[in-house]
Amino acid sequence: MEIADNRPAASGFAESQGSSSPAQKREREERRRALFLVTPGIAWMTLFMVLPLVMVVYVSFWTQTTFTVEPTLTIESWQRFLSSSTYLSATWTTVRIWAIVLVSTLLIGYPVALFIGLFVRNQTLQTALLVICVIPFWTSFLIRVIAWRPMLGTEGAINMILINLGIIDTPLTTLLFSEFAVLVGMTQIYCVFMVGPITFMLSRIDPSIIEAARDLGAGFGRIFFKIILPLSLPGVVVGAIFVSVMVLGEFATAASLSGRKVNLLGNIIVSQVGSLKWAFASVAGVILTIIIAIVITVMLRVVNLRKEM
Amino acid sequence: MLALNSVSRRYGETVALDRLSVAVPADSYVSVLGASGSGKTTLLRIIAGFEEPDAGTVTLDDKRLDGVPPHRRDIGFVFQNFALFPHLSVGDNIAYGLRYREHAPITDAGEVAHRVNDIIRLVGLEGLASRKVSAISGGQRQRVALARTLVTEPRIVLLDEPLGALDANLRERMCDELRHIRQRLKVTFLHVTGSETEALLMGDIVAVLSRGTIAQFAPASTLFSAPRSADVARHLNAYNILSGTMEGGRFRSPAAAFPLPAPSSARDGTPVEVALRFDRISVRPADTAGDAVLRARFITSEFTGSSVLSFFRTEDGQLVQVVSHLSGPVPETYAKDEVYSLAFDPAEIVPFFERAA
Repeated sequence: MEIADNRPAASGFAESQGSSSPAQKREREERRRALFLVTPGIAWMTLFMVLPLVMVVYVSFWTQTTFTVEPTLTIESWQRFLSSSTYLSATWTTVRIWAIVLVSTLLIGYPVALFIGLFVRNQTLQTALLVICVIPFWTSFLIRVIAWRPMLGTEGAINMILINLGIIDTPLTTLLFSEFAVLVGMTQIYCVFMVGPITFMLSRIDPSIIEAARDLGAGFGRIFFKIILPLSLPGVVVGAIFVSVMVLGEFATAASLSGRKVNLLGNIIVSQVGSLKWAFASVAGVILTIIIAIVITVMLRVVNLRKEM
Repeated sequence: MLALNSVSRRYGETVALDRLSVAVPADSYVSVLGASGSGKTTLLRIIAGFEEPDAGTVTLDDKRLDGVPPHRRDIGFVFQNFALFPHLSVGDNIAYGLRYREHAPITDAGEVAHRVNDIIRLVGLEGLASRKVSAISGGQRQRVALARTLVTEPRIVLLDEPLGALDANLRERMCDELRHIRQRLKVTFLHVTGSETEALLMGDIVAVLSRGTIAQFAPASTLFSAPRSADVARHLNAYNILSGTMEGGRFRSPAAAFPLPAPSSARDGTPVEVALRFDRISVRPADTAGDAVLRARFITSEFTGSSVLSFFRTEDGQLVQVVSHLSGPVPETYAKDEVYSLAFDPAEIVPFFERAA
């Protein structure tokens, strides 16, 4: 009671009327700081993503003549795309190659991630191993793709080895300049994007959780499918999104390893732009964007990333 | 009965367990008291099978456990951090062992639900089965960890500092409940802790783990009144340990000389340590005469609620703690740096000869 009596009659609340309280000031300051941090990103995205995207959709309805494109709206390009078996089959090839590469990067990447993230408990070693996975990226993308030619070619390393081992007599000609070559090349190039996020999620699993599962009597299979896999699923989804976005937009690997046998939507865009068919290239671009959007939406449905990360 | 026979485990140069032998009787509550780094956790991990001993054997009811992988040992482990499965609900956490164990999993959903409900009632988690484990309190998580282990009916339950992550209030409640649960299930609990109060309160038998081996294995009351070595006495955090030498059958140190409770045949000059309980010392004015008196300078006091802990330092630099209970006459306050006489009954002294050297 004595303590209360000694305090000044007017409390801090009276003074704060009229001007704002310290809490309100702090809040305003924080809002200003957030705005400051977010502005460059929003400006960049608007200028270089939203506007171009709108523009691509717009141009896809322009009128295309042999050498020019005019802003007279028409659905001619769309009709041509959707009625041409060449372009529809390219769309189908894109989706098929994406699906195969996604599965193969997952099948090859997950065990690698499992090893680095869960079985290597030394953080330094973990980082070192991840860096080793990234070493191929120290050379240019094109070199990484073209390096597959001397590997897969008729007189390439794989054929030489198989012949010298006596497994085959004549070199396999289907290794290079085929869909197989494209799949091998893409799997190798994009695998690391699957390994990274999965490793990250796996390394966050508390080892005592796995010990607890063992202590409760579960063998490795049950521990993997009921504990490890569900806990690493967000990493799988993030990795799958990385791989999907990159593979769906691919054209260089197909161009240099398939011998023009594999045409992806990306290759169509490149060739159409090369012959100044802007409207038609835009149609392909819009369709590709729609496919990517659907793929990402479906993947995000699988795992609620906001809740899991 | 769980028996460890001469178990050793070292990590590089550090010896965690050094030829440790212990026999834990069936249907009992045994607490293991040890300072941090004394090998407590290693001991549990070797019993559970997360680690194997370098030497020695572990047997349960005369069957070898060492070499058997942890999921085939039928031993329950309650982790210090609870180690709940973060993506599963409380109910699914508890059901995990029943559903997915390698040996005799229960496939009938009704049977699993029935057992899970029983154990949920036993540990007092009614109504929380469908909650996420991230949406319950620390005390509730502790119960989930316990229930998850108990529902699989292990032959022994190992508890690794199970109350360490709880606040003081909760800890006392859980102590009680742990004992009750154990008595109902008639399963052996091996409870590892660094807290002497917890160890004495919980254990029918207390094992003191020191220097990688069991220093004493005795009922709590025996342990407290008759520690077998100075090491054990130190762990109990209730004894002052004074070191000195024997002289004419009496204890002698630079600060004091007094008779021992029983006549000793130890030769003069034999090093000896004595333990003197904090609460068996009375503080008197400096000029008090007597046979069993330590002269020491007052340093400071700590008020702990029901008692006052006072610190004194003898001339030769030894720290002496005195507990005065506030239920008695209100203790006087002492003047800082003033010398007092600390008087005690020599019969209360516990002497140790072996380790003193």
